[in-house]
Amino acid sequence: MNTIALNNTLPRVFRNRSDIQSDIWHQDVTLERGHLYLVEAASGTGKSSLCSYLIGYRQDYDGTISFDGRDIREMCTYDWTVARQRSLSTMFQELRLFPELTAWENVQIKNQLTHHKNDAELRGWFDRLGIGDKCNVKLAHMSIGQQQRVALIRALCQPFDFLLADEPVSHLDDENSQVLGELMMEEVRRQGAGAIITSIGHHMHLPYDSTFKL
Amino acid sequence: MSSSLLVWRLLRQHVSIGQLAGFFFANLLGMLIVLLSLQFYEDVVPAFSGEDGVMKNTYIILSKHISAASTLGGEAQTFTEADIRDLEGQGFTQRVGAFTASQYQVYGSLSMGGMGVGTDMFFESVPDVFVDVQWPTVAPEIVPIILPRSYLAIYNFGFAQTRSLPKLSEGVVSMIQLDLRLRGEGGVERHMKGQVVGFSTRLNTVLVPESFMRRSNQELAPTAAAAPTRLIVEVKNPADDAIARYVQERGYELEDNSLEAGRATYFLKVVSAIVMGVGLLISVLSFYILMLSIFLLVQKNADKLQNLVLIGYSPARVSRPYQLLTVGLNALVLLLSFVLLFWIRGLYLDRLWEMFPTLVEGPVAMTVLIGFALFVIVSFSNIVAIRRKINRLTPRSPKTFKRGLYSTLNGN
Repeated sequence: MNTIALNNTLPRVFRNRSDIQSDIWHQDVTLERGHLYLVEAASGTGKSSLCSYLIGYRQDYDGTISFDGRDIREMCTYDWTVARQRSLSTMFQELRLFPELTAWENVQIKNQLTHHKNDAELRGWFDRLGIGDKCNVKLAHMSIGQQQRVALIRALCQPFDFLLADEPVSHLDDENSQVLGELMMEEVRRQGAGAIITSIGHHMHLPYDSTFKL
Repeated sequence: MSSSLLVWRLLRQHVSIGQLAGFFFANLLGMLIVLLSLQFYEDVVPAFSGEDGVMKNTYIILSKHISAASTLGGEAQTFTEADIRDLEGQGFTQRVGAFTASQYQVYGSLSMGGMGVGTDMFFESVPDVFVDVQWPTVAPEIVPIILPRSYLAIYNFGFAQTRSLPKLSEGVVSMIQLDLRLRGEGGVERHMKGQVVGFSTRLNTVLVPESFMRRSNQELAPTAAAAPTRLIVEVKNPADDAIARYVQERGYELEDNSLEAGRATYFLKVVSAIVMGVGLLISVLSFYILMLSIFLLVQKNADKLQNLVLIGYSPARVSRPYQLLTVGLNALVLLLSFVLLFWIRGLYLDRLWEMFPTLVEGPVAMTVLIGFALFVIVSFSNIVAIRRKINRLTPRSPKTFKRGLYSTLNGN
């Protein structure tokens, strides 16, 4: 997948509003593979809606969103499964991890589906992010900040053309944000992928190609 | 740990052992009732329908009623051509055959160890198509004979008992040769041997092959022409009421209880069908218990299922653990049903054999087949229902959105 295009897209809940001032909504925007985008949003501007549309979770919008020119409304369940496994990786704001499993198992449940990384690489990432000692700890017993790092590792163990990271560092201090940002960009560059990072204020300092105000 | 195991560890959360046990026993009960009623029917019907070996149970034997008046008045007890044609024209009739009686005297004797027993007797024959056994080929001078089973019973329990004579089994009787003396018109005599080749519960006569009867009547009584006194009729359905009505109207008599047997079979069929219906109903209800239980499980684990789909698992893949669970349960039910079925069947067969020593157990293939068919149908429905339920839960289709997922989303 090389491009994600939004054409005149608008969440239906905003349909009756005339005061929309946005770089995304009601605009024609094309996001390209290999580029780094920051989407800055204030509360209530539809950031989570945008992410839900892009990962095929919701379709309550007007206008069109297309992957490589194909309207994503036409994608069937199988198409989405393939896209989520090979083209589009997501780090969810709400993390969507499994509290019953350990940190390691939370990553394995994805990696065993894609077989993208080996155990040594994954251990290396856990260590780099400072949670190497937490591998066998149940996720429910970890802090949100630690969980955020597990979520990033899980998002990185798959091939992708775009990485969608929804507020990836909202619960991390500057130092940890830095490490997480570096690790993320390493993998994005290695795969030649694009990245769309959202933020509601606190964001990583990375060499963004474009910044959109939502 | 493989991904399937991890997925199972997630999705087994909220599995209710109580609900599954409820389903298991309900389904077991339903399945067992269905299979047992079917098998019982297969096993017991031969006892009621009086499978005879010599004569099919769709045959009935008709004679004319013998009353005091008809005896004194010398009224004919024979069937006329018109009678037979009329009978052939009835809707319940498949075909009609006449009994041919020997037109000469028969004297049969038996010598055992120097002691001789003899009696006057008679022969009858019916067209060969009505005899289900092949007449065995014995030497030409030996006449094959089929005796009523009751004759042997009269000898064994009435005659032999009181005279301290040896009791005879069917096998022993079949080994003894009778000396036959046939005496026809003008004192012509022929000496022959006879051999009992079979016994019939339902044919109340001394039966010989049609060809022998024709030949011997021609030789010994060429001038006599006899109208039949008894008819053998193959009917389409012995339980048909029309037969009883016709017989009564014409003043005929039915020689044995084949109609009652037919009715008993019919009644057994109805009872079996009702019991089977109850079993099926229980099965259907248990199917609903399972579906409700699984749907509840899916609902409780909806978040996990959605998350798995959003990180790249296909709905088919996340449906599989629940599908395997139900198919596994169904297979266990089937297996246990078969075990219980054959155990119970052993118990009732012992009882049946006490009542009907000659009963041959019915085939089990049909029951096994029906069991597997039920298993396949139920499992397939389970698989489809679970898949549809999970498809509906997983995001994407606008329908899903309307069904209330919106409330679970946190829109900024």
